[in-house]
Amino acid sequence: MSDFLGPVEPDGRIPPYQQTRVAAFLISAHGALARQFAFTLPARLDAAWQTELNAQFYREAEIVSLLLRATSWGLDLSLGYMVASWETAWAPAPIDGIADPHLNQAVHLATLAHAVHAGIRPAALLPLEANAQDPFVMALRRIEFESGRLLQAQILFLKGTDLAQHRDAVSAALEQRHAGVRKLWRELLESIGIGAPAA
Amino acid sequence: MPFLSHGSYRVRYELDGPAGAPAYVLVNGLTQYSELWGAYREALLARGFRVATFDLLGQGASDKPTLFISQDDQVAALGLLIGELGNGPIFLSGISFGGLIALRYAIAHGERLSGLVPMSCFAELTPQLLLLGNALRTGLILGGTSYLQDLLLPMNLSDQWLKPLLDKLDSVKRQGWLVNDVYALQNLMESFLDFQPLTPRLSAISVPTMILNGEFDFLTPRALHDTLRVEIPDSSLVIIPKAYHAFTLEKGALTADLLARFAEEVLAGRWQGNQAVWVAPDQPGGELTPFPAGYDHLRAIPVKRALP
Repeated sequence: MSDFLGPVEPDGRIPPYQQTRVAAFLISAHGALARQFAFTLPARLDAAWQTELNAQFYREAEIVSLLLRATSWGLDLSLGYMVASWETAWAPAPIDGIADPHLNQAVHLATLAHAVHAGIRPAALLPLEANAQDPFVMALRRIEFESGRLLQAQILFLKGTDLAQHRDAVSAALEQRHAGVRKLWRELLESIGIGAPAA
Repeated sequence: MPFLSHGSYRVRYELDGPAGAPAYVLVNGLTQYSELWGAYREALLARGFRVATFDLLGQGASDKPTLFISQDDQVAALGLLIGELGNGPIFLSGISFGGLIALRYAIAHGERLSGLVPMSCFAELTPQLLLLGNALRTGLILGGTSYLQDLLLPMNLSDQWLKPLLDKLDSVKRQGWLVNDVYALQNLMESFLDFQPLTPRLSAISVPTMILNGEFDFLTPRALHDTLRVEIPDSSLVIIPKAYHAFTLEKGALTADLLARFAEEVLAGRWQGNQAVWVAPDQPGGELTPFPAGYDHLRAIPVKRALP
């Protein structure tokens, strides 16, 4: 087991079987966020904060598009089963202690996005010898950097005064969501020989 | 890798040295991790101390609470570690954010300590420090951990330390970048949003206290350390020559020697704080010299102290 992707190929590229699984996981997670933001985004914005929804939707879609094009895909027969289990995990889960269904849905989406943006650090998997000019390597760096920016909207909402009265419920839901996402990420990494992810 | 449990969170720590020996507990700065005390571990073990280090909540291998990290929880985690050390003498030291946590522990549980060494530390957020902290937080938000490191390195370390590393700064930053997460660092920074100054409570610290301040520290400048000196009765302020905020990284051998000498003096009953101001030697083992009488140690140029 290694802490990082690789061993890299002679030209510094990440092996395609690792690229395939990492990209499939990230597409599943960010794709789920893109879909859920799309369903939440009104056709016409009537509040200033909804501009952030628009940004989140397009950034998530951009991440999916980037991975589809930057990844050197390999045949992986296990992916079907794995993707199915991931997609199940992203499904909306009711938040205990928040009765308002709209607020409940908003907290679900924010906690899922927080867990994906904060808890998954794909660039931290890159070994020093990875080729910085390789598109997949650059894609992982961009996704981690962009996730840190996207995360700010979730932090503002989840720490904000609107949820102050639900703080314990929100914190519990977020910790649970982080644990769930990290478990899937850890299992995925173990499946490609990575045992101790830094993040 | 041993862990302590604080509620549902795990706190990673390291403890070396003979049970019953005087112990040093070292508390990390904001972006640090336990391994950075490695040179101190070796130096203090060689001088007969036990050494305990740990990652604060939100740092390194300790758990990273997702939304809020209170400073009270950090003090509680520190208390758990100190609880592991038995009944022998305990000296507590911390740098910057870790110094603040050490101060808070000493205010609340000073009876458990034999000595305290706040380094590059502060008890209140002056306008400059508040605005610098806000700017660093914005830097973290906009540019990530790497950009925060880019800001901190030139602020906190000297040209002499940086110059030979200029073409390998990425490798200098890498481990800190790997073990620190943006949201966790942000939570640590945002633990100051409801911060109340500790200054009115500093006089409750009755243990011998050696305050260390880098000569050129402009993140937490002399005046912030002088507040500690004035308010803590049995204290001395020691200025580290040609040092910046992160002198624990840059001058590890000298700082470890000062820590050991302080504890040895306290244990031998020779320590006298007297709220004095000293200048540390350039090298380990050198003599400390009193700050020149009659001159104002808060100035950067030799100005005679105003008579009361």
